[in-house]
Amino acid sequence: MKSAVTTVVSAADAAGRFPSMSDFESVKGSFDRAKARLEAAEKLASCLDKFTNLAVDAVYQNGSYEQANKDKCVRDIHHYLRLINYCLVTGGTGPLDEWGISGMREIIRIQLLPTAAYIEAFIFIRDEIKINDVMSQQAETEFKGLLDYLINALA
Amino acid sequence: MLDAFSRTVVSADAKGAAIGSEDLADLRKYVADANKRIDATLAITQNVSCIAADAVAGMVCENTGLTQPGGHCYPTRRMAACLRDGEIILRYVSYALLAGDSSVLEDRCLNGLKETYLALGVPTSNAIRAVEIMKIATVAIMTETNTGRKMFKGINSGSGAQCQDIAAEAASYFDLVIEALS
Repeated sequence: MKSAVTTVVSAADAAGRFPSMSDFESVKGSFDRAKARLEAAEKLASCLDKFTNLAVDAVYQNGSYEQANKDKCVRDIHHYLRLINYCLVTGGTGPLDEWGISGMREIIRIQLLPTAAYIEAFIFIRDEIKINDVMSQQAETEFKGLLDYLINALA
Repeated sequence: MLDAFSRTVVSADAKGAAIGSEDLADLRKYVADANKRIDATLAITQNVSCIAADAVAGMVCENTGLTQPGGHCYPTRRMAACLRDGEIILRYVSYALLAGDSSVLEDRCLNGLKETYLALGVPTSNAIRAVEIMKIATVAIMTETNTGRKMFKGINSGSGAQCQDIAAEAASYFDLVIEALS
């Protein structure tokens, strides 16, 4: 799975050389950002249900829907937020790419689901929820960067 | 290939749970110890030839028949292959140590190594002895408990006494190599 360390190790292995000074610098660089990432992951884990419910309520506020549909939507949003939590931990987009995005377009299309609703939910989390209340500015930046990545992939 | 972070992710995904505070404690320690980890890896990369050559020399000294005609390290071409393999094993141990996870070592080096050695007629008991010597030498250099001068120049923490935990981790990767060859 792609992360700062595995990228460096793969490149070194492909060239058959030991990790070099520049490899160590790049690994260290990712560790310097790790504090904000891990904080974002921790706070997101504790607010996962709250964020999911707020987003789903916002999307479903108008019109009447079956509860069963709504439950599935909750499940999916929850799933994507969990993958973002994983991405925050690895420091790369590996978990989202491998478990959330590849094949996703096909699955959503074959079930005739509107991707627009998912996008709306994630935009709501990004723009409307006061993320700042639960995590620091830097952690929020890391979290929002991944939300943007997911929104672009869904669009 | 996994590292300490993605290993946590893979095991959390198997449970379908998000990664919360208790799981993050180990990773925070990994991040906090990053400087020591880099120094410990430097202890290997700056002494590769020395560690591998000493280990192979030690192996031969204990079994002098190896370099005699008919021995497994005769002629020099086979001795050179032996030195090369020592360096390859050290390279993968250094990757595993930097990543904080053994998957790169297992997937890319140990998987099929014993079968290859058996097919090529390499005596695994001697190979294991060489790996044991490499393990002892690496730990001694890392923790600066080797006799004589300090053998590596760290960029961060600087003191080998601080590398004790990481040296124990490095030793566990050598143990994996020994286990794979046994």
